[in-house]
Amino acid sequence: MSAAFNIDLTDAESFPSRRNEAWKYSDLKRWLREAPQPSPTAAVGAPGPFYDLGGDAIVFANGRAVGVTDFIASGEQTLRLRYISDAVGTGHSAGARVAVRAGAKLLLLETHEGAGSAYVAHNTLELDVAAGAEVTRVVLVEEPEDAISVSEAHVKVEAGGVYRQTIIATGAKLQRIETRLSHFAQGAHVQADGLYLLNGSRHTDLTSVVRHMEHDGTTSQLIKGVARDTARGVFQGKIVVERGADGTDARMGHHALIASERAEIDAKPELIIYADDVQCAHGNTVGTLDESALFYMEQRGIPAEEARALLTQAFLIEVIDRIEHEGAREVAREWLTARL
Amino acid sequence: MAAVKETIDAVAALEKYAHGFTSDIEQEFAPRGLNADIVRFISEKKGEPEWMLEWRLAAYERWLAMEEPTWAAVKYEPVDYQDLFYYAAPKQKEGPKSLDEVDPEILEIYKKLGIPLKEQEVLAGVQGAPRVAVDAVFDSVSVVTTFKEELAKVGVIFMPISEALREYPELVRQYLGSVVPVSDNYFAALNSAVFSDGSFVYIPPGVRCPMELSTYFRINASQTGQFERTLIIADKGSYVSYLEGCTAPMRDENQLHAAVVEIVALDDAEVKYSTVQNWYPGDAEGKGGIYNFVTKRADCRGDRSKVSWTQVETGSAVTWKYPSCILKGDDSSGEFYSIAITNGHQQADTGTKMIHLGKNTKSRIIAKAVSAGKSDSTYRGLVSVHPKATGVRNFTQCDSLLIGKECGSHTIPYIEARNGSAQLEHEATTTRLSDDQLFYAQQRGLSQEEAVALLVNGFVRDVMQKLPMEFAVEAQKLVAISLEGSVG
Repeated sequence: MSAAFNIDLTDAESFPSRRNEAWKYSDLKRWLREAPQPSPTAAVGAPGPFYDLGGDAIVFANGRAVGVTDFIASGEQTLRLRYISDAVGTGHSAGARVAVRAGAKLLLLETHEGAGSAYVAHNTLELDVAAGAEVTRVVLVEEPEDAISVSEAHVKVEAGGVYRQTIIATGAKLQRIETRLSHFAQGAHVQADGLYLLNGSRHTDLTSVVRHMEHDGTTSQLIKGVARDTARGVFQGKIVVERGADGTDARMGHHALIASERAEIDAKPELIIYADDVQCAHGNTVGTLDESALFYMEQRGIPAEEARALLTQAFLIEVIDRIEHEGAREVAREWLTARL
Repeated sequence: MAAVKETIDAVAALEKYAHGFTSDIEQEFAPRGLNADIVRFISEKKGEPEWMLEWRLAAYERWLAMEEPTWAAVKYEPVDYQDLFYYAAPKQKEGPKSLDEVDPEILEIYKKLGIPLKEQEVLAGVQGAPRVAVDAVFDSVSVVTTFKEELAKVGVIFMPISEALREYPELVRQYLGSVVPVSDNYFAALNSAVFSDGSFVYIPPGVRCPMELSTYFRINASQTGQFERTLIIADKGSYVSYLEGCTAPMRDENQLHAAVVEIVALDDAEVKYSTVQNWYPGDAEGKGGIYNFVTKRADCRGDRSKVSWTQVETGSAVTWKYPSCILKGDDSSGEFYSIAITNGHQQADTGTKMIHLGKNTKSRIIAKAVSAGKSDSTYRGLVSVHPKATGVRNFTQCDSLLIGKECGSHTIPYIEARNGSAQLEHEATTTRLSDDQLFYAQQRGLSQEEAVALLVNGFVRDVMQKLPMEFAVEAQKLVAISLEGSVG
């Protein structure tokens, strides 16, 4: 169950359905019965939200690499990883590989920039964080309401490595953002945050599997989300502590707001533990905006809509505040505020 | 030296399960294996009405078409369903009228287990001691039910389900399978086809059952499966507290126990269902033990109805059990309090489902898991809120305690919220016994095992308090016994 699904866009047989436990809430087969036709080439267009932060870039336009697909970071570097989709009813896959050398520091700014409609995108990222290296990954995902996308990141963190990620998603017809991460050696530190803000009939599925294979690793995860209208937010988080991974400290929190009568939140935070000297905890709440806070604000002359937006922002912004890099944090904050 | 230690360990393991004795009772069996004729045989043995036989046969047909579920986090040798006896009953005269007619050897067994079957004995006990009516199920049949007359005075029906099928066929027909449908799952379908006995309870409107009701299950014969079926109906405004206990002899084969419990709570009714499950867990090497594949479900059909499940799971080699509540009535509430203790090679995959369908329904889940030895324990639960259920409230707390380096403990909660006004909270923690606390307790003169038992009892205290008095004492002892040999 914990093995990744090998999705191949050219083979409809490889699409998981809700019969596969890990895809219970994101039935790819339901929306994608046949393999899509391959997407045509697309232009790169506008420079993307993180342009001002500079650095190197890996760019895919409809799955085709514009330049390199692999990157090796050493010293202190910034890499913008852009998946650009501009297609109508067709599909494309892209794969990037990033290795971060021992002791290096990488700021990885990933954007999924979708235009067109009803496309199918499948993106994979392989990321190796060597001993003592430090990676901050910020992912902004914006896609059309009728698009289908599956993004996978396979991350391996070596001894003493630090890996922080923040995923910010606004959903699509079916959107799955999966992170498979392993604490490959002792003393790694991982932060795997995310937030989703969904309108209309959008769906997003933030899935993560964090495996502690060696001792003294720490994982901290904070996911927050808001589902409005008839949207559906899914969080599946799994923390596995293998035998011998003593001294593990893992915390996971998922908190969601259902902001309409017909929205839906599905959450499955799992702890699978085979070592005894560990501290593991998860918290999971689903609720609605505090009526008394709303009342208070309205009483002070703030219109109801604005009061809701403010409270929603205050709820979500905690995730943004945890982004370590100031420049990336400010871009993410503006990006989110513009979509509230 | 190693050999000496091995012997000590072996003896300790033998002493651990106090209910593991076997009894030589003259029994009659149905032929080995399962087919439509066996289903007919059981139905005929019970003198059931025609519709019941058809119901069973339909269940058998469904079962044939189903596949054994594999999603639970348990591993076990597959059960050969054709190699089991589906019916084993102590030989006795037709329907004993009183205890005197029951095989004294059977009475001896229950005495050994500490279950009072003689009403006068119960009455002669300490003044003010709680009185409990008992239905004793031995392998496939109910051997005796106590306090039937006294209960009948207030209109409470408490009898073996086989008897209820003859005496109150309409009542049974109306509710049987209405909570757990025949084709609900593989084991429920199997149970529907071959169940031989179990308890039937009906509490009339407005009646508060004057005493606790209990069923005591005992598997005795080897190579038999036990399939009991319990049906509890709490009519409007009634209350009942029901207890269930189970034990089995130590055998080096795995025995199957696939029960179904159905509870129906109508308007303002309240049912409290407590289980102390102590089936034989297998020996220290994981050989033998009961496969406990049970479907328990309550239907809070009426407004303001309430069902509370409390379970202490210390036995069985493999447990697969999710006592659930369907909260259909407005303002109804469901509770689940669980202690699951696994040691040796035991595996438990247990939890609950709270299905919120009605408005302002509430549920509360407190699950405590303790794993020791080489065992594996999983909490698997679902809280689901349907679109029309407004004002739903749920609180879930799952705590796991690991003792030793070779055990595992897992938490898999599902939350599915489809209404904006729901308020759901879940929290889970996994830790090990604190060295500081152990040290402190030992410093005060407790042995290591006593210290562990004390701390674990503290850890599970929230749930213990929900148990009826007479069960709580037994359960507390069980916790200590189950963990024997888990440290050092």
